[in-house]
Amino acid sequence: MSAFGTGFRSLLTREILRFVRRPRNTFVPPAITNVLYFAVFGVILGDRIAAIQGYDYILFILPGLVVLGAVSNAFENASFSIFHGRWNEYIHEVLTSPLPYSSQVLAYVVASALRGLVVGGIIVGVGLLFVPFTIDGGSVPIRRPLYLVAFMLTITTLFAAFGIVGGLWAEDFDYLTVLNQFILRPLTFFGGVFYSLETLPDFWATVSLLNPMVYMVNGVRYGFLGYADVNANLSLAVLAGLTAVVVGVDILLFRRGYGIIE
Amino acid sequence: MTAIRADDLVKEYGDVRALDGLSLEIDEGEFFGLLGPNGAGKTTFINILVGLARSTTGSAEVFGHDVEDDYQQARDRIGLAPQEFNVDRFFPIHEVLEHKAGYHGIESEEAERRAAEALKTVGIYDKRDTRFDWLSGGMKRRFLLARALVTDPDLLILDEPTAGVDVELRRELWELVQRLNDDGTTVLLTTHYIEEAEQLCDTVAIMDTGRKIEVASPDDLRGRGEDTLLVTLADAPARPPTFDLDGVGRATLDGTELSVTVDDAGSRAAAVIRTLDRSGHEVVNLELRRASLEEVFVGMTRTDTDASGEVTG
Repeated sequence: MSAFGTGFRSLLTREILRFVRRPRNTFVPPAITNVLYFAVFGVILGDRIAAIQGYDYILFILPGLVVLGAVSNAFENASFSIFHGRWNEYIHEVLTSPLPYSSQVLAYVVASALRGLVVGGIIVGVGLLFVPFTIDGGSVPIRRPLYLVAFMLTITTLFAAFGIVGGLWAEDFDYLTVLNQFILRPLTFFGGVFYSLETLPDFWATVSLLNPMVYMVNGVRYGFLGYADVNANLSLAVLAGLTAVVVGVDILLFRRGYGIIE
Repeated sequence: MTAIRADDLVKEYGDVRALDGLSLEIDEGEFFGLLGPNGAGKTTFINILVGLARSTTGSAEVFGHDVEDDYQQARDRIGLAPQEFNVDRFFPIHEVLEHKAGYHGIESEEAERRAAEALKTVGIYDKRDTRFDWLSGGMKRRFLLARALVTDPDLLILDEPTAGVDVELRRELWELVQRLNDDGTTVLLTTHYIEEAEQLCDTVAIMDTGRKIEVASPDDLRGRGEDTLLVTLADAPARPPTFDLDGVGRATLDGTELSVTVDDAGSRAAAVIRTLDRSGHEVVNLELRRASLEEVFVGMTRTDTDASGEVTG
């Protein structure tokens, strides 16, 4: 059975259908959350905040909001699907099948990354509704489309792959909440979603560079606005390398049966 | 060809040894029963075969494929109906079957056809658009069998397939599984219902504490148990008569009802009656009771009980 054969496509289809058929759980919440973000931070507060690097505040925060929504949904999808499958033991349907472990992992990762990308698209759509309110005739620019695509593919895949680790590690639903709310969200908020690193004192700007989210937010911002606080090429290379490593770890964990095999 | 070969399988969970050097061979086409008390290691053995557990040492093969090194080939031949309800609850049951068939490399159109066929085979096709949670207990058991069948396996593993189902459904499932075995599918069955093993299995292995105690046909095993001669006497004797005969064991008396344990009821009955005759007892009725597989099973897996009544074995 080949890695991308019928078995892989079946699991991928199953994983995609799982979130597509439950939009109230998967797509509506990030849409509503981002309507609130854009309304409060973009329109109400944004009018009182000076342009950053020449960009209206709503445009400046849009890439960060896209990253926040995309990576958290990619992570949540993979971690929930794996953990819930373990919790109710229906992951056994996959584990007892002849699918190679690499195909199992890739199907979960690709489906979860896809959900992240769809949510990212929804957030851009919400942004497109709000931008004209604050900027006359304004729209959302995409100055570096290839970078935008490359960064979005990389970061959603990376967080889907992290989600697999989280789903295998979790012993209870609390673990997933801890990962999402106490680690992922603070890192994203302090990753330059709402501000430029240049606005920080030197010390905190340097500390921020240890936060991987900074490179993701700035990479995607570079794709939209053509502006970034950090080098986009280097960021992309490091993130792509990290993604490959984490996917490799996922496959290794499946092969060893971590969290799934007695 | 050998369908399953286990060689000195050991599985440890911390200090607990769930399998303790289990070796077993099951031929292709056989209907093989695995009997044992709770904790005997039956499900652990099955989990090793299907990839849900890894042996600590030893090896296992399914149709000549090592379950770890050639796991894809081994798993492709197996259909599993587990004891627990480990079913995907997000989708209607026909889709769950289609996904499962897909994981085995079956293309979508064929998977749809097989899913419909499997649901018809177990008699729940009209529930195809229902989710697993909404099925009744009996239907859930049927569905687990349908899921095992949807990939058309060469080896069907049934782990307590009739646990908690009513007599009628149990018989229905027996007939279905028997038909599959008649058509060439190798069946490995674990069960708590001894009658199930007696009715269905060509060969039975009795397991206890992670080890195989005995492998034989149900008839052979029954032959190893003690039969009983139930004799009704015309008058109640003062004390139980004694027998100095080969193959005849203890006798107990309850009024005129005399119960004599023998190794083989058929061949010992005449000698027992003669002895009673000679000692002046008039026999008015005789009943031969063969040892049941259950009695043999209980005898083989009996654990020692200490003075406080707690199981220590």
